[in-house]
Amino acid sequence: MKTQRTWDTLAADTAERMAAADKFIGKGKRVEAKDVVGLLEAVIRPGDRVNIEGNNQKQADFLAECLLKVDKSKVHDLHMVQSAVPLAAHLDLFEQGIAKKLDFAFGGPQAGRVAKFIREGKLELGAIHTYLELFGRYFLDLTPKVSLICAYEADREGNLYTGFNTEDTPVIVEATKFRQGIVIAQVNKIVDKLPRIDIPSGWIDAVVESPKPFFIEPLFTRDPALITDNQILLAMLALKGIYAEYSVSSMNHGIGFLTSAIELMLPTYGEELKLKGKCCTHMILNPHPTMIPAIEEGWVDTIHCFGGELGMEKYVAARPDVFFIGPDGTLRSNRAFAQTAGHYAVDMFIGGTLQIDPYGNSSTATANRVAGFGGAPNMGCDPKGRRHSTEAWLKCGQELPSMYEQIGQMQRGKRLVVQGVETFGEGREPAFVEELDALKLAKNAGLELPPVMIYGDDVTHIITEEGIAYLSRCGSMETRMAAIRAVAGYTEIGLKAKPEETRRLRDAKIVMTPEDLGVDRDRASRDLLAAKSMKDLVTWSGGLYEPPARFRNW
Amino acid sequence: MALNTLEFEVKTPDAAVAVAKPVHFGVVGSGDLEVLMSPLASGGAVKVKVVTPVTGFDALWQRVLEAFVGSAKLRDVSIEINDNNATPAVVTLRLRQALAEAAA
Amino acid sequence: MSKWSTLLSRSFLESNARERAVGLVDEGTFTEFAGPFDRRTSPHLEVLGEAVEFDDGIVTGVGRIGKTPVFVISQEGRFIGGAVGEVGGAKMVGTIKAAIDFADRIAKDFPNAADEEKPIVAISFETGGVRLHEANAGLLAHAEVMDQFQRARGKVPVISLIGSKVGCFGGMGFVAAATDVVVMSEFGRLGLTGPEVIEQEMGKDEFDSADRALVYRTTGGRHKYVMGDCNFLVEDTVAGFRAQLSELAKLPRSEFEALRRIGSEKLVEKQLEGVALAAELQPKDARDVWVHAGNPDPVSLAMAPVPQFRETVKRLAL
Repeated sequence: MKTQRTWDTLAADTAERMAAADKFIGKGKRVEAKDVVGLLEAVIRPGDRVNIEGNNQKQADFLAECLLKVDKSKVHDLHMVQSAVPLAAHLDLFEQGIAKKLDFAFGGPQAGRVAKFIREGKLELGAIHTYLELFGRYFLDLTPKVSLICAYEADREGNLYTGFNTEDTPVIVEATKFRQGIVIAQVNKIVDKLPRIDIPSGWIDAVVESPKPFFIEPLFTRDPALITDNQILLAMLALKGIYAEYSVSSMNHGIGFLTSAIELMLPTYGEELKLKGKCCTHMILNPHPTMIPAIEEGWVDTIHCFGGELGMEKYVAARPDVFFIGPDGTLRSNRAFAQTAGHYAVDMFIGGTLQIDPYGNSSTATANRVAGFGGAPNMGCDPKGRRHSTEAWLKCGQELPSMYEQIGQMQRGKRLVVQGVETFGEGREPAFVEELDALKLAKNAGLELPPVMIYGDDVTHIITEEGIAYLSRCGSMETRMAAIRAVAGYTEIGLKAKPEETRRLRDAKIVMTPEDLGVDRDRASRDLLAAKSMKDLVTWSGGLYEPPARFRNW
Repeated sequence: MALNTLEFEVKTPDAAVAVAKPVHFGVVGSGDLEVLMSPLASGGAVKVKVVTPVTGFDALWQRVLEAFVGSAKLRDVSIEINDNNATPAVVTLRLRQALAEAAA
Repeated sequence: MSKWSTLLSRSFLESNARERAVGLVDEGTFTEFAGPFDRRTSPHLEVLGEAVEFDDGIVTGVGRIGKTPVFVISQEGRFIGGAVGEVGGAKMVGTIKAAIDFADRIAKDFPNAADEEKPIVAISFETGGVRLHEANAGLLAHAEVMDQFQRARGKVPVISLIGSKVGCFGGMGFVAAATDVVVMSEFGRLGLTGPEVIEQEMGKDEFDSADRALVYRTTGGRHKYVMGDCNFLVEDTVAGFRAQLSELAKLPRSEFEALRRIGSEKLVEKQLEGVALAAELQPKDARDVWVHAGNPDPVSLAMAPVPQFRETVKRLAL
């Protein structure tokens, strides 16, 4: 006989909690800032899965501070499931016992405390994810019961405008609300009419106007004044040896100075190589200020953004042919969609790293910081589910001598995954190492898995000041390791390179030095940058770009 | 605590390039260096002197300088460097720039 | 170093001390004093195990602009922030002295020499003042430079050029203020107490040194031009500074005194009026003073290209 069972326990639980919170919630779901701690105590139960919205850019910082003020006897042992923990408050929650377990993607400035807390047993680590992976688990086994999100504006009904920095909000809200959870939003301002509705009020349970606008980190702003001659040399190698060689049209650029240099050299060196119209036409990219000259010169067809970038609002809005602009005239970024495109659709990921091992595995982890992954591994990998072809993807796949070993006489392409590093970084730390610090970190912090950002089998090219290692052309681990040694310069790994072996690799075009590629090292100077300063970027933008105060020297 | 001074000689078998005039290049910024390159009759050898606040990289300096002198086929030159923690990539770049200036 | 002709179009901000020195004077005329080949490194830094530079971070020498002998001092900000120590300080003092001695000799041997044939001193500042590693010697150097300015006054014009990354702060801020003329680019900064020190002493709420926009609108070239602390605002190229210097080289020597901002009882009175105005105005931001000076839209004025700015800006009248 079929036993009677209720099928709406989640909704009933939420209703009970919301009833307890009723006294704090006014018309239009409005909650006063002073009542937020009480509200949180009413709707959050010990052991709940809770999400505080925040990533490497925007932060629901007021709600995070409020959660820190709850009565610990009422709210404790929470399981935080959220993109990032960059605010001090995020870790204070663990210090105080309000939170216990963490599943996340990115540590940012708190990376050192994450490692320390794991070691001290203050924080039980679920797993370190990529953004997309964690978003996936929101809809699988890590659905938040309560989410604390942020938006620019709400209207009198509680509809939200997340605008330029929409980022993770849609994913969090959809996962939470459609499993009958509770969504609380902090907004900078409550207004009569929103520019557009990004999140409907029906999916929101409470709205608070925060005392201060939410914090945003201008993480993707690189001051051209800080680009060095060696970064320019690497950028020249990338443009000639990879962009031109494979006709790479779609890509994601990492966050570092190498890719900023590349962006600023499209209108100069890229123009000289006649790459306009061929390369960088479609990009998955935050609104990098260093892209302005290339956009203005007509290089780019489309850019879709994970998030916004402080100061780029007006410029982006004025270029609706390039960016994804709503009917209201402002950008809507979306991390989930951009990551999906970054994973499946682009031909290339290029970025820097901190360490590369002799096999080509790379990591930005240091021995005592759990920095997490963010989105890089989803783009810095070969997407096995990709089924459409492009010139660059096919060419890279055709080069791979070991393809036959995997799929026999069958054609398949491969994503270009390019790592650019100077052989020695700051303080003469070698970039090529026998063992990644990720292994030490795994041991120090008791992780099950060393946090490898990009695995060796996904890396197709390594660029250093010594030249390019075309790992996509290596048929065996032995050849791959030799190619890596050949570009590792004066590091201990590089010193193991045998001159005759390097000669053979150069003849086989598996290793190409600047001279082999016809790149004139003596031209590697800042004169190749289309913009040399923040002011130049503003000028290129016709005054539309408004750099944050900390980047302005006027 | 005093500064670390390294001195060594490099001799390349088929060295043929001498510098015509003394040159100075670079600024001792953080992670950077300056170099003086001057003609010095020394029986084909290149004399190198490096002054740096950093210790423990003697072998690395020697390798980088040997590789530079070897690939440029330099002879009868004095190279003096004031360093402030430059990486090998920066060292090589500045040496190349100094040599280009000496040839100009 | 790039060819002289290409140096001219370069950004003054991006150039190094030697490029600035060479580019300021006519092609091929620059002779360096105590240059890198003299290897006069700082004995103090050596003892402390700190990196040294063959010219101790200051390029000194003499060149010509047209008929005018120009004694040049050019500080290098990338070497220990351009801080002035014993060797560099002595080079500064020696160069000004040489200019004065040269002027005396011309006066004696060629009493009919035209003004534009008489020497001037140009100092490109890029410094936070005293090098703390050799503080006594550095401080003494500041005093000695000031001393030479007193000797040079009315005889050899001393011209400050400020358009570098580090700006001109600390003791050297006083030194620059004591020269006859101050020429700046919008990227140049001039002040006494550096932004970090103000924050340290007064707190972040009073002055946030990480807020570069605040730092520049308080100490940068445009503001100093409005305030009258800087006489001429030029574009950020070596040629821009050079053109202003050439004009000054031709100026009758008697006209320099009128360009001074400090150094007489009358000027002290004027400065005191400024203090009184500040007390009355209670400005919350440098831009408030711009508005008071007659610039109703300081934000767009600050963004306007330099030539347009110079044409339209109203400078503070005291």
